[in-house]
Amino acid sequence: MNEIIAKFAREGILIEDEAYLRLKEMDDPMTASSELIVSIRKEGGKFTILTSEVLDDFFEIENPHEIKAGGPVKDDFKREFDFRVIQDTSNKSYTSGEIQDMVSYFSSRFTKLKNLLSKRPELRSHVPIADLRSGGDVVSIIGIVNDLRSTKNNHKMIELEDDTGEITVIVHNENHELFEKSEKLVRDEVIGVHGVKKGRLVVASDIFHPGVPRIQEKEMKFSAVFISDVHIGSQTFLEDSFRRFVRWLNGDEGSEEQREVAADVKYLVVAGDIVDGIGIYPGQERELLIKDITEQYEEAARLFGDIQRDIKIIMIPGNHDASRIAEPQPAIPEEYAKSLYSLKNVEFLSNPSLVSLDGLKTLIYHGRSFDDMAMSINGLSHDKSHLIMEELLEKRHLAPIYGERTPLASEIEDHLVIDDVPDILHTGHVHINAYKKYRGVHLINSGTFQAQTEFQKIYNIVPTCGQVPVLHRGALKVFEF
Amino acid sequence: MEYFQELERETERLYEIARRARSKGLDVSTSPEIPLAKDLAERVEGLVGPEGIAERIKELENDKSREEVAFQIAAEIASQPVADDDIGERERLADQAIRTALAILTEGVVAAPLEGIARVRIKENFDRTRYLAVYFAGPIRSAGGTAAALSVLVADYIRLAIKLDRYKPIEREIERYVEEVELYESEVTNLQYSPKPDEVRLAAGHIPVEVTGEPTDKVEVSRRDLERVETNNIRGGALLAMVEGVIQKAPKVLKYAKQLKLEGWDWLEKFSKAPRKDESEDKVVVKADSKYIEDIIGGRPVLAYPSEKGAFRLRYGRSRNTGLAAMGVHPATMELLQFLAVGTQMKIERPGKGNCVVPVDTIDGPIVKLKNGDVLRVEDTETARKIRSDVQEILFLGDMLVAFGEFLRNNHVLMPAGWCEEWWIQTIMSSETYPDDDPLNLSYYSHNWMEFIPNAPEAFKISREYDVPLHPRYTYFYHDVTVEELNILRKWLKTAELGDELALSLGPEKRILEVLGVPHRQKGSRVIIGYDDAYALINTLAGPLEKSDDSVDAINRVSPVRIMKKAPTYIGSRVGRPEKTKERKMRPAPHVLFPIGKYGGSRRNIPDAAKKESITVEIGRATCPSCRVSSMQSKCPSCGSRTVIGEPGKRTINLAALLKRASENVSVRKLDEVKGVEGMISSDKFPEPLEKGILRAKNEVYTFKDATIRHDSTDLPLTHFTPAEVGVDVERLRELGYTEDCYGRELESSDQILELKVQDVVISENCADYLVRVANFVDDLLERFYGLERFYNVKRRDDLVGHLIAGLAPHTSAAVLGRIIGFTEASACYAHPYFHSAKRRNCDSDEDSVMLLLDALLNFSKSYLPSTRGGSMDAPLVLSTRIDPEEIDDESHNIDTMDMIPLDVYERSFEHAKPTEVLDKIDNVEKRLGTPEQYQGLMFSHNTSSIHAGPRVCLYKLIPSMKEKVESQITLAEMIRAVDQKGVVEGVLMSHFLPDMMGNIRAFSRQKVRCTRCNKKYRRIPLTGECKCGGNLVLTVSKGSVIKYLEISKDLASRYPIDPYLMQRIEILEYGVNSLFESDRSRQSSLDVFL
Repeated sequence: MNEIIAKFAREGILIEDEAYLRLKEMDDPMTASSELIVSIRKEGGKFTILTSEVLDDFFEIENPHEIKAGGPVKDDFKREFDFRVIQDTSNKSYTSGEIQDMVSYFSSRFTKLKNLLSKRPELRSHVPIADLRSGGDVVSIIGIVNDLRSTKNNHKMIELEDDTGEITVIVHNENHELFEKSEKLVRDEVIGVHGVKKGRLVVASDIFHPGVPRIQEKEMKFSAVFISDVHIGSQTFLEDSFRRFVRWLNGDEGSEEQREVAADVKYLVVAGDIVDGIGIYPGQERELLIKDITEQYEEAARLFGDIQRDIKIIMIPGNHDASRIAEPQPAIPEEYAKSLYSLKNVEFLSNPSLVSLDGLKTLIYHGRSFDDMAMSINGLSHDKSHLIMEELLEKRHLAPIYGERTPLASEIEDHLVIDDVPDILHTGHVHINAYKKYRGVHLINSGTFQAQTEFQKIYNIVPTCGQVPVLHRGALKVFEF
Repeated sequence: MEYFQELERETERLYEIARRARSKGLDVSTSPEIPLAKDLAERVEGLVGPEGIAERIKELENDKSREEVAFQIAAEIASQPVADDDIGERERLADQAIRTALAILTEGVVAAPLEGIARVRIKENFDRTRYLAVYFAGPIRSAGGTAAALSVLVADYIRLAIKLDRYKPIEREIERYVEEVELYESEVTNLQYSPKPDEVRLAAGHIPVEVTGEPTDKVEVSRRDLERVETNNIRGGALLAMVEGVIQKAPKVLKYAKQLKLEGWDWLEKFSKAPRKDESEDKVVVKADSKYIEDIIGGRPVLAYPSEKGAFRLRYGRSRNTGLAAMGVHPATMELLQFLAVGTQMKIERPGKGNCVVPVDTIDGPIVKLKNGDVLRVEDTETARKIRSDVQEILFLGDMLVAFGEFLRNNHVLMPAGWCEEWWIQTIMSSETYPDDDPLNLSYYSHNWMEFIPNAPEAFKISREYDVPLHPRYTYFYHDVTVEELNILRKWLKTAELGDELALSLGPEKRILEVLGVPHRQKGSRVIIGYDDAYALINTLAGPLEKSDDSVDAINRVSPVRIMKKAPTYIGSRVGRPEKTKERKMRPAPHVLFPIGKYGGSRRNIPDAAKKESITVEIGRATCPSCRVSSMQSKCPSCGSRTVIGEPGKRTINLAALLKRASENVSVRKLDEVKGVEGMISSDKFPEPLEKGILRAKNEVYTFKDATIRHDSTDLPLTHFTPAEVGVDVERLRELGYTEDCYGRELESSDQILELKVQDVVISENCADYLVRVANFVDDLLERFYGLERFYNVKRRDDLVGHLIAGLAPHTSAAVLGRIIGFTEASACYAHPYFHSAKRRNCDSDEDSVMLLLDALLNFSKSYLPSTRGGSMDAPLVLSTRIDPEEIDDESHNIDTMDMIPLDVYERSFEHAKPTEVLDKIDNVEKRLGTPEQYQGLMFSHNTSSIHAGPRVCLYKLIPSMKEKVESQITLAEMIRAVDQKGVVEGVLMSHFLPDMMGNIRAFSRQKVRCTRCNKKYRRIPLTGECKCGGNLVLTVSKGSVIKYLEISKDLASRYPIDPYLMQRIEILEYGVNSLFESDRSRQSSLDVFL
């Protein structure tokens, strides 16, 4: 049985399991293999792994699940895409669930954010916590927040930790400005502190976030559409609304102006919850129209397949999709979404991911951590997710709070740190549109295509349905479908 | 009564011993610390006040029920005159009123009146009217659902008494409750009943007082900063009062609201479990209720689907070991299923939610089909054991004996009665044509119907002669087949001639016989029915049946004698919690409450700690005020004066010397293991004398946090017993006051049935063996530590008979005096229903503890209890010495005391009469209250030959792994006709394994870590990856717990045709699990290996 593998191995080509299994089932696997190798070599030998896609391409195998993208192609011009994936963690999950992974995960977070912080002029002279000495001088330290409490007199106490030790930082409530700032701190974010060491405490005089420098706005010669939380398969999925949206994208719906914008659209970004999924919450089966996950994705393929094929679609999973629940989530597995995968204009990436859309760096994150942020910081709520995004950007972390509702996988590297400041931050999850331009960054939350659910009614969430944000040459427009 | 005086005399004797021992000054106090509780009124005054209320309570008690007293007292206290507009004083009175009322409702036994209500306030509606707000706290739980619900009703009564308006919630406040209930269940813990959002809306919108409370959990809601709600956190106490109280106990609340003529509670009818009359037809329709199998738990088999054919058949009656939620099942059924042992809990469809199984063998057992095709009734455990491995199908599970009182207690309409011998006999006795001279000797057989089995021709003759329906034995489950099937059967029966038996050729018709429950044999290709059954069938199906939906009705048109519905009510059930009898051990289990920090290792072993020269621990000490000597005694060891306990603090003690001296004091040579505690949880941190630990270790007994020694068992009721079954000889019982049997005959033989005295208990053999060791410990303690005489001198468990114990239930603070009268092989504690009720327990699988009374008197001290909220629960703060049935939980008042179920009940059960409508025919405890009959003559209608027949241990406990448990569960599901196997497999996956795995995956990705050395927990791992103490950190949620059920789930999914939805859920879970536990790198490298 290993003849096939050996054959490819001699040529320096690895075979994916599935590709191997499919090859093996062919009438004459050895001949097919030889043909493949010849073909791959002809291409310049740039494949090192033989995947089932390559196999598909070569043999033009009809995928039984395949749903042909029915969308029209505009032949009058051929689009040039400058699309690049900068960060995608799919197939890069290196955790094995051991406690050591947890240590490296938080070390990675601390180190990355500390590096960002220490570039700030105010924190250049920061010292390790273990080296702090009492005295009148102002010291600066960088640490990860362990805990936040209020004293009896309503001062704020911050337990701060670095890799050398820990210390309690106190923020006096008479220092109004700083106290207000401290109200927005959350556990497990990394901050810098200026203060005076008094006994076992540091009395804070200033607090620093890694922060966001104002970025230069880039010229945008195209339009991009942002959606999320489509929830296909749910009884409350608004199919009509979604179909109108697709018709608009294809140039078949809307006012003259709207059609003009549609013609300019190169990218469609989908920030998770493409389908409603199965078993996400107890009793979900009673609220599902399609109770089969594969069929949900097939339906998704039918709906997205109607979109004209020269629009590139970028999809990440949300907490409803068939992926692991811990973040970062790998891309929606092909296994469940074969038909969706057969659409050639769709890119499947992890949650979160960073891509470049013709030069515009776009950070896509589903937004699970908003639940924790809204719970932890007074004044933040689901209906004002732009404020949450602003906080996350300042903290340079997409899901800083550990141990609450957002499950975090202890990956060896913390991929949820915002290493690069993006031009666009696109999120979903809360089902309520939001937009803000913050220091040159477009903060976009793209609402939903799902009507209000019983669950949302209990939690007092009024969704904005079918309201699609479009970034049209740098300006935000919202079209309702 | 002499019995109570005898108990009190004996109690006093033990007190005297304890007083003498304590007076030596070797303990924390110089006298025993458990006062004798008097009656309810004084308990209430002592617990919550106000001063002088006891007298008023006693006054009112003369002609009012306890609930009425509570409401009246509340109104009286609250409406006392106060200065104009002194809201503060009015609030104080309302607060006092509700606490006193709650204390009365809970018999002054539980901690809820003190700790379950934080405060009461008078607040303002948005229309400026005033209303009453009650702030509940977590320990309201200990009041139980009914009392919690009634305290809300009391608050409304108070509100009216002090002329306040109703609480008018705004929509946001109502929705806040809805959200809190959801959050509570998702973030904190499950409620006993999960209300739908609309149910919460209904309750929150209509309760006329504000049910609010202290924040109990660190979980915040999204509807924040409501003007009238002080906290943004979950109000656990309020939710308990509303959901497990008002909503769950809606029928009871409604009952009292009507009784008190309180208006504005009619909306509760929407919650009432009892089916209402169908308005259009004026006929009650009772639907199958599947609530009890909404959750199916791995390893706990479903025994029958809701109202499914072949499930348990309802039979009315009470045996001497049923009532108070314990229900009878034939021991052959228990033996056959193996998952039902004496005391195993079942979740049931009706009349309540759960029960405890006890064996009763005067009811019908199961009908089974064997692998060889034979169908037979299984009427004894021996047969059940013999045929168990040959059973192919359990066609019928047998009877469930349910007391009338269970329907009364649950306010559930009566369900049609199964046609049974005792009913049949009564129909003859009441027949006009039956002669007065009782030719059939029915006055005897009416209680001994098992001995009266006429053959079929006789049965027909009796029916014709006295115009009564056919004997139940020859009445088959005709209603479970169609008229067409009966006609087919009839045709088939006519193909053969009835000789000594009826031999038919095998055909599909056999299945009809099986469903009808007609016993028969299969021999090769022949089906053979015995003479009597064949005779009955042929003569019943006397002619072809006309088309009808009602098979029994169709039969009655052709049958010469009347045929009754054999099983008009089937009851669905599943196995709940297994029975239990076990000594109580804390973990790790200490022998003595003496703090040794971490010096004793993880086992807290004092000899190990003593290897160090000296140790430093936080400990309280006492000082002599005159000679300043410090010690751990209440009397100064040097001058004998009373010492004063000082503030606890870190002190260095020479443990080795202390241990050595203690060992010498009680002359015990060095023991390898005497376990202490890491630290004291009490505020004084005053330790126990080490000598006690040494003697406990010597006798292999362990102490609980309050220094008593406990043994826990499932509670079961018992009103009558025989000397033989409790293993005590007649002589001894006569000494203890059992001179006559329950029929008034002199006690002479060990099989006579005796009426149990209300404070006598039958403990498990396991418990007895432990108490023997406790008794030896107490004797050692008396002799070697206090220098007194040994008291118990027991060697065998028999020697315990006649000794006193204290029973105590969790969440209560009052122990009840009891006396050991015998032993049971079952894993349970049998006692009089009054005894359990006095502890506020019923018998649907509640469990609680017994202590040897002298142990509790000598060793218990309040000073060992933690000072935190709830710390005084499950501690014997008082001892009730005499049970007055009027002053115990009124659940026990519903106990039937009839020796026969009245004909009326049988007949009216077919109209779904409400239990209260037939109460005039019923004799129960309620009717005997306040008379001497409350203590004697409580009869039973169904005898049983043994109170511990059937398995002693539920199979669930015997099977080691979950995989095998589930395996047996599914095998059983396949075997029982009334169970859908696929449904069970899906149910286990859906309600147990999948949620468990999902929860654990989530928990894994947000878990804490723990130090293996000092046990400190970190919310998030420190950056250094080490504990501050330098110890190793480990995960608190292991990979093992996440994948625990994955293999079984996959296995089940692959073997049974389950819903694809579940299949996919399992697959996706597996994908998620692999992604968390398998590095993509290792997957890639394994591919390398593969290449």
